[in-house]
Amino acid sequence: MELTYPLIAVIGTLATSFIVSLFLPGIERKFIHARIQQRVGPPITSPGIMAPIKFFFKQTINPESPMPKLYNALPLISIIIIIILLLVLIPQMYFLGALTSIIAVIGLLKVEEIMYMFMGSLSKSVLSVRMPFPDRAKGAAHPNTPRTFFEELSSLRAFRLIAFGSFPIYIALFVSVAMTGSIYLTDIVAYQQANGPILFTLSGVLGAIVFFIGYMILLNEYPFAILKGKPDVVEGPYLEYAAKYRAYVYITRGFLMFTLATLFATLFLGIAPNILNPNFIITLVVALIFPMIMAVMSAFSPIFTYKQFYPTVAGVSIVGVLAIVAALL
Amino acid sequence: MDDNKENRTVIEAEVPMGTVHPGALEPYRLRLFVEDEIVRDAEMTVGVNHRGVERIMEGLPVEKANSLTEKICGICSNSHIWNSCRVGEIALGIEVPERAVYIRVIMGELERLHSHLLYLAHGSEVLGHETFAMRLFYIRETVMELLRMIGGNRVQYGSAVLGGVRPRCELDQMRIQKLSEGIELLKEKLNDFANRFVSDPLVMSRITGVGVTKPEDALRLACSGPTLRATGVEMDLRTGMYEYDSFEFDVITQDDGDVKSQLLTRVFENFESIKIIQQAIRNLPDGPITNRSWEMQDTPITKSYIEVPRGTLYHSYALEDGRVRNSVIRTPSMANIGAMQYSAIGHHITDAQLCIVQCDPCFTCTDRAIQIIKR
Amino acid sequence: MSLKSYSRGRAVHVMLVYTGGCNGCDIEIVNCILSPKFDAEQYKVFLTWNPREADVLVVTGPVTKYNEQPLREIYKAIPEPKAVVAAGACALMGGVYKNCHGDIPSEEISGPVDQIIPVDAKVPGCAVRPQDVVAGLVSALPLLLNAD
Ligand code: SF4
Repeated sequence: MELTYPLIAVIGTLATSFIVSLFLPGIERKFIHARIQQRVGPPITSPGIMAPIKFFFKQTINPESPMPKLYNALPLISIIIIIILLLVLIPQMYFLGALTSIIAVIGLLKVEEIMYMFMGSLSKSVLSVRMPFPDRAKGAAHPNTPRTFFEELSSLRAFRLIAFGSFPIYIALFVSVAMTGSIYLTDIVAYQQANGPILFTLSGVLGAIVFFIGYMILLNEYPFAILKGKPDVVEGPYLEYAAKYRAYVYITRGFLMFTLATLFATLFLGIAPNILNPNFIITLVVALIFPMIMAVMSAFSPIFTYKQFYPTVAGVSIVGVLAIVAALL
Repeated sequence: MDDNKENRTVIEAEVPMGTVHPGALEPYRLRLFVEDEIVRDAEMTVGVNHRGVERIMEGLPVEKANSLTEKICGICSNSHIWNSCRVGEIALGIEVPERAVYIRVIMGELERLHSHLLYLAHGSEVLGHETFAMRLFYIRETVMELLRMIGGNRVQYGSAVLGGVRPRCELDQMRIQKLSEGIELLKEKLNDFANRFVSDPLVMSRITGVGVTKPEDALRLACSGPTLRATGVEMDLRTGMYEYDSFEFDVITQDDGDVKSQLLTRVFENFESIKIIQQAIRNLPDGPITNRSWEMQDTPITKSYIEVPRGTLYHSYALEDGRVRNSVIRTPSMANIGAMQYSAIGHHITDAQLCIVQCDPCFTCTDRAIQIIKR
Repeated sequence: MSLKSYSRGRAVHVMLVYTGGCNGCDIEIVNCILSPKFDAEQYKVFLTWNPREADVLVVTGPVTKYNEQPLREIYKAIPEPKAVVAAGACALMGGVYKNCHGDIPSEEISGPVDQIIPVDAKVPGCAVRPQDVVAGLVSALPLLLNAD
């Protein structure tokens, strides 16, 4: 009896999250993008559910890559990482100790970003260098320069994302740490249950904004889609995924959207994801609101280059630091 | 570009794009030479689209050849057929009835509207702004419907024939009514859009100061059309064309020569086009729309330059037994390629496609056999 | 209907390849996908630029010499099941560019498309109308749905 109860909680939470996360891309596309663009838009199940199922039924091909096996394994790894991330947020798992701390969360998110880098450097798609075209003919400019694939470009950018771009989200994570004085999720949740959600303080509001920008950057949504912008790198790291591996990529994205929103609910509202707790509904609402706001932002903004990206990240990071300072005072 | 090349021997990497690329849409090959994601040099390979229309025209009866020129470009199809007929008319001394001239101008300006709107939509798409692109496509739909109503087809609606316009393109009362209503609607929608566009801080910060072409450089690179006007050079062939004698319009220029001025030039030119169409509807003269009293004779090579949506279009051919000889066509994008390569240099690689798109490229018509004369 | 064909019918990814037509067809197809008036997404048709993601390849233009090899490569990169829709007179029979004078074939053109890759649906028109493109896509669908 003692074991079944937490087990139901964990599995139930995971399953519910997974199912809800499948709908997120559809909601984003149908209710926000299509509405803003004054058109009908796709059915809500199409982008998130039917597309991955369809990809499962496609022929599995060998991607063009120096290490096809590893390349194909990467989306699986990243989905596992996200599942672990969600797991450590569930209160029933707090017995794991150090694993359920902010540091572990940051570590997992870092691994997720490193995945982009690996994906980028392992993919060799047909769209750039391998496109058969006689452009190094006589008279061509700089005939002997080394050639790069788009994906290498986006792998370079993933590097910048790790080094710089993901600052906001990490800073935002530390707002709650500064507030509660503990890096353990247990304490953070307990503190908020006692003293009310962090979100309703000044530093909480600032932190939430910073968190949201970080959320968009991590999800590579326009305007921060430096990894996969249409004008240059097309889809960047994902270019070579086909069939079921592409399905994983699709699922990963929705799941990451959900998990990050859950993380927000845990850190800023003090509501850990737990299906047996009626407050779980708030987690779901947050998970719906976040993609919606993101979709509105992305529908109204062009893609950023570094010229806009760096100042935005720097500015937001400063706001984040202010939030931490406000929390410490 | 050339001076750049000489003092730069080390180039970090080359990023080839195309011939299939979402930012480009059309097939061409682009090699970007980048250093830390900043474009140091660009090389554009056209010729992918070369289909040899001039070659096919050689020896065709002149009427047939005229309508073949329409297939050079699906965006400015009417301009090609217009200019081609103009060559024949100048060579054979055909007087075009005034009503036909007016209808040609109306078609030409509608075409300018749809081309500029397409340009803006493509620009927004390359900026990554899907919403603006879709809105512009929606606005453009009004123009497409008008073109379909007059020309009978959404694309390839060319109206001109030797000595006038096709009978299909006659403007009767109902069409004039619809046309003026459509234009009114368009003006309203465009106004809204223009206001929204210039007040969008994100878009503006993205396009200001990117892809600058200075007027000297634009002249040196032999740019034409709106691309040249956006750098501040007041040059519009429409001011010298007899077709436009009876119309009032302003030549739009912008000062900066960056992507912003390029886009704004097109936005403002749209309003000028609307003005011209409204004048044409108001003053549309009565009379026949074709002049059939002319005789075929052999003529030497005759040239004609007109202003088309994307710049200066040149057609020339000689006539022999009613057949076309030595046809030469020079399209506006051909002249603007220099500016495309030039303006991309020194900018981030994400802006490279934007710098190319700002010059309003149309590679289907650009792929001609060319000889470059260094100036 | 099995889940397989149901899911295939509910999410169709389309890739466009232009092979040197006059741009007329190209723009009409983009129009059909990007313009809110036609909005292909409401018919569960999504635009993609990545062959690995695509189900249907829409080809326009008469396939000029330089485009032949890229077109083959892109076709090869699409995982099965796949369908090809050729749109426009050029793609179907070479259009006005196919022959220069009578039956002398033009040496610039290696198309029409069905000489390079197998074509499953043909959409006639010069230029194709957006409505026809959607209809052509739909007519290619059974092929996808019934494939295993
Ligand atoms: S079919 Fe007609 S409109 Fe389409 S690409 Fe060919 S010539 Fe252009």
